[in-house]
Amino acid sequence: MNKKNYIKDKWLTISIAIVIYFIILLILLAFKVNYQATIAISLVYLIGIISILVMAYMRKKKFYQELKEKLDSLDKKYLIVEMLNEPSFLEGKVLIDSLYDINKSMIERINTYKSQTQDFKEYVELWIHEVKLPVSSLTLMIHNHKGEENKKLLEQLSRLDNYLEQILYYVRSENAEKDYLIKKVNLSKVISNIALKNKDILLEKGIDFIVSDVNLEVLTDSKWLEFILNQIIDNSIKYSKKQNAYIKIVAKEEKDRVDLAIYDNGIGIKKEEQPRVFEKTYTGTNGRTGKKSTGMGLYIVKQLCEKLGHKVSIKSQEQEFTCVRISFLKNDYYEVAKKETT
Amino acid sequence: MPKIKIVEDDLSIAEELKQTLENAGYDTIVTTDFNTIIEQIKQEQPDLILLDINLPKMNGEVLLQQIRKENNVPIIMVTSKNNEVDEVLSMSYGADDYITKPYNPTILLLRIGAVLKRSERPIDKFFYRSLEVIPQKGILKTNDEEVVLTKNEMIIFLYLLQNQEKIVTRDELMTDLWNNDEYINDNALTVNISRLRAKLKEIGYEEAIETRKNQGYILHE
Repeated sequence: MNKKNYIKDKWLTISIAIVIYFIILLILLAFKVNYQATIAISLVYLIGIISILVMAYMRKKKFYQELKEKLDSLDKKYLIVEMLNEPSFLEGKVLIDSLYDINKSMIERINTYKSQTQDFKEYVELWIHEVKLPVSSLTLMIHNHKGEENKKLLEQLSRLDNYLEQILYYVRSENAEKDYLIKKVNLSKVISNIALKNKDILLEKGIDFIVSDVNLEVLTDSKWLEFILNQIIDNSIKYSKKQNAYIKIVAKEEKDRVDLAIYDNGIGIKKEEQPRVFEKTYTGTNGRTGKKSTGMGLYIVKQLCEKLGHKVSIKSQEQEFTCVRISFLKNDYYEVAKKETT
Repeated sequence: MPKIKIVEDDLSIAEELKQTLENAGYDTIVTTDFNTIIEQIKQEQPDLILLDINLPKMNGEVLLQQIRKENNVPIIMVTSKNNEVDEVLSMSYGADDYITKPYNPTILLLRIGAVLKRSERPIDKFFYRSLEVIPQKGILKTNDEEVVLTKNEMIIFLYLLQNQEKIVTRDELMTDLWNNDEYINDNALTVNISRLRAKLKEIGYEEAIETRKNQGYILHE
């Protein structure tokens, strides 16, 4: 709000004031009021009008300027209602009261959706756990009744389980609340679990699984990390070459972090597609040709990594290799806190 | 035979689990009444309990705490709840292991074997006929000779030894190897077995391991 805009805004008031002034002049002329008196009346009138305008301007300017500054500095704009001082003029009061009511009704509306989303999330989690029961049952049945088709059946079950895990972690990653637990985890333990999970398909496809120097501890949620690594390995398997394929996992300790690299000599990713692989529902050429892809795996991986505070990046050369790197930061505070408590 | 109590409310899983465990040579008790589990355990004296977390009317974690108050029987929690909080809670309440559904039955059996072994006295020496097996050093010893096995060969030999006179499939051997962080491929397994055979031959146990075509291997007593 500046002077120019204010005057523009008040053009009706000002023009009425001018019209009235001319009417007053006409009346003064008609009554043949003398020259000095006319000027005196004109001055009084003018000063009166200007001071009314200026006073109103000052009062509003203070309020609106404060409003604008606070609004600009705010990250969450809707909190503005809590930050304003009660204005001294009526319009301002009406505005504040309206904002307050709008805010309140919006919060109520958001809460309705929030609880709906929460209910939905809880239902999906429950549903996934329920579905896992028949999957377990089927796995045991296949194990108990040896048959020729067993390998194929198990492979399909493992696909099913993978999709279930994906939606479970999608729901977890999209939700604002914290349902992970960060503690010291040995990388070799997590990798061992994933290796066993993927053993059959790795052996079936003749992909060598090479693991070295992973006996390192990092701060993470082991279940989340297991899912993250499983998605990456799953991609490596999906996009492996037919001959001499391998997946290599190496960890390296740096001063401020631990780097974990998952390297495969698969078909790789086109250079122009690399920056987009972590985008939601993005499927590159690889995902569209032959191998089915939902475009969700790496997106969820990225979301989970961000929540856990890990950095994830991807490097690839088409037809040569793909390397996914996860960096686990070391937390000095954690160490200090631990030392103090023990 | 070790006796395993299955506390699982999904009847289909309980039934299949019973069959899996019995095929592997365990005695099993399937729980049908979930109100008196504590009393049942006192009566039945199982060697190990497989405990589901989601039970009718009761939380498996609470039950676990109650059992632990008076009993030291090994307990493996089995659950479809795949999250860290539940695992940490279960372990802190005294569970011996935590397995999530759906699990690979071979791995479940390995874990059960490991937990049962842990509850026995630790053994650092095994015997095969008149052969002394020292896993820590990777040594097979006769009266006057000894051969050194690699880590992989020892894992294979111990697995065969614990399943003497039974057909051991390549998949079982592979699972055991991978479970011990030795991620070898099919060729390497074949090579390891023939090396193991050669080493056994050196000390006069040529016919110890028999190959059953398309089935697996047997270590004869």
